[in-house]
Amino acid sequence: MAMTKSQRRRIAAVVRYGVLSLWALVAFFPIYWMVSTSFKPDNQWFSWPPVYFPDPPTLSNYLNVWFGAGQYDVTQYAISSQKPLVSLWNSTVIATTSTFLSVLFGSLLAYGVSRYRILSEARMFQLLMLRMIPPIVVVAPLSLYYSALGLLDSRTGLILVYFLTTLPYAVWMTKSFIDEVPREVEQAAEILGASRWRTVFEIVLPLIRSGLVATFLFILILTWSEYLLALIITKTQVTTLPIELSKYQGTTEGRVYGRQAALAVGITIPLMIVGLIIRKHLARGFSFGMVRR
Amino acid sequence: MARIELVNLSKSFGAVAAVKNVDLAIEDGEFVVLVGPSGCGKTTTLRMVAGFEDPSGGEIRIDGRVVNDLEPRDRGLGMVFQTHALFPHKTVRQNVEFGLRMKNMPPAARAARVAEVAELVRITHLLDKMPSQCSGGESQRVALARTLVTHPSTFLLDEPLSSLDAKLRRELRAECDRLHQTLKRTFIYVTHDQEEAMTLADRIVVMRAGEVVQIGSPMEIYSDPVNSFVADFFGSPSMNLLSGEIAQDGGLPRFRAGRIELALPERFKAAKPGAATLGIRPEHVGLGRDGKGDVELPVRLVEPLGRDTLLYFDAGSERAFVAVSEGLAMADVSVGAPIRLSFDPRRLYVFGTDGRRIFGGAG
Repeated sequence: MAMTKSQRRRIAAVVRYGVLSLWALVAFFPIYWMVSTSFKPDNQWFSWPPVYFPDPPTLSNYLNVWFGAGQYDVTQYAISSQKPLVSLWNSTVIATTSTFLSVLFGSLLAYGVSRYRILSEARMFQLLMLRMIPPIVVVAPLSLYYSALGLLDSRTGLILVYFLTTLPYAVWMTKSFIDEVPREVEQAAEILGASRWRTVFEIVLPLIRSGLVATFLFILILTWSEYLLALIITKTQVTTLPIELSKYQGTTEGRVYGRQAALAVGITIPLMIVGLIIRKHLARGFSFGMVRR
Repeated sequence: MARIELVNLSKSFGAVAAVKNVDLAIEDGEFVVLVGPSGCGKTTTLRMVAGFEDPSGGEIRIDGRVVNDLEPRDRGLGMVFQTHALFPHKTVRQNVEFGLRMKNMPPAARAARVAEVAELVRITHLLDKMPSQCSGGESQRVALARTLVTHPSTFLLDEPLSSLDAKLRRELRAECDRLHQTLKRTFIYVTHDQEEAMTLADRIVVMRAGEVVQIGSPMEIYSDPVNSFVADFFGSPSMNLLSGEIAQDGGLPRFRAGRIELALPERFKAAKPGAATLGIRPEHVGLGRDGKGDVELPVRLVEPLGRDTLLYFDAGSERAFVAVSEGLAMADVSVGAPIRLSFDPRRLYVFGTDGRRIFGGAG
């Protein structure tokens, strides 16, 4: 028997939402598990059958990891020479500074490419190709140079390397926004007496602010969670949160899942806060074409 | 105050010559309209004057001084763009104020000047709105205000009205005219609309394929077109152009094209036999129901427009032959009915095979 159009539509909707719900379950379960584990007392971390809801929920993991409180003081000290709060500060300074530099210089470079073709299309592509070099390849030479330059185990060293490695993304993303700004708007400013710099800072960049914000968040996420380069370049003086996180899974200390989860939740929350603050821009920035003629 | 001269001005984009050896002197306070079909080089010419395009050859002089190497902001010009190009993230007031801020005018003087200009173009009520809240006509007024606030010596207008509907276009056309008379500045206006050119210009510069075809007052352009292109471009409906041939069989030359055959007037008697194009404007074709006239053609279509009625005839050529009749007197003519047409002999033009005018008009 043939189905009517509305019946077909309804079935399609059921299938669509069914598949999406399943996918959401798969995607969100690990996050749920991380949050749940962070509130579990230590005997429920690996218990079988698994405990889905901490019973009773406890804050001890958080207090221990973030504030050094509780019975694990000694292990905590053994695991890391630094408190995670120091790593949080390091991560914040390094990620925001390098991201800011990357977006600033990236957008200026993108402006040059968009308006003056300072890089040919081949060069632009090569710029992106830089990102396709496996980071492990550059790690050895980089650490050699860094040690000679005294940049190992320093914030400056990490800021510099993050700034340079994310620059191609910044150029590519902001260029697509700058391309959308009508030339005539700039020319109007120019003939009214604005210098080129003034036009860029007063007309072009404000017009693409949603795009800049989207680019900023994208790069912030990359640098915030970068692991490999941080592992090589930092030693003891400057550690970032991802490095800190890795230290909770050593063979010598056993598997302190609860505290690792509490740390991971703490790493995730700042990004979520930033995302919430700028969500208005994100929706517009990631949909492109936000400049009204 | 500015006198603008273009001397042998050329511009090529790669192998494409967009503007070819244009010579033009625009007097101080003159309203000059560059007009032509799209791609004729009129906008490129304007953009070279503004400084947004570098000429490939020739000179641009403002008051005798060569400005080829000057930045746009140092030329003392104002420009209104086709897309209005308002700054979308600034209020109307900030838009208008922008040029003054760039000149470091103190805030109090700025506010006074903005108020004055807003009054002049009647946008005072819009000052605190965003450009996105303004209608097309309002945006264009804002663009005008933003341009004239800095007292530019010359206004460059690049198809400023083309994005507006017909009624607004007429309104703002009158506005441009009024501003020109109030400000007494030089205006260079680019359009593809012959009607705008006719109504606004002191002098019209007709361009085609990068070259200047004719320069003259609107009436000169209309009644003395140098070639069939100009004749065809100006006037609505456009001039009837019949390609046919001239025959000399003793006495007066005769012109034949399709169903039309007529004797040419006395002053055309030197016309050489051979292929030619006969031109006559629709308003110079007399419609006689009384049987008088030069030719008889069947009506193909009647368009009553209210004030006038357009009649389209089948002349056996590709393009319909058009005549205008005042009022609605001819509105009830039935399609297919033959009507006798008389051609005003003083208003006939003959164009050669290259399009150049051979006879008619003042020449």
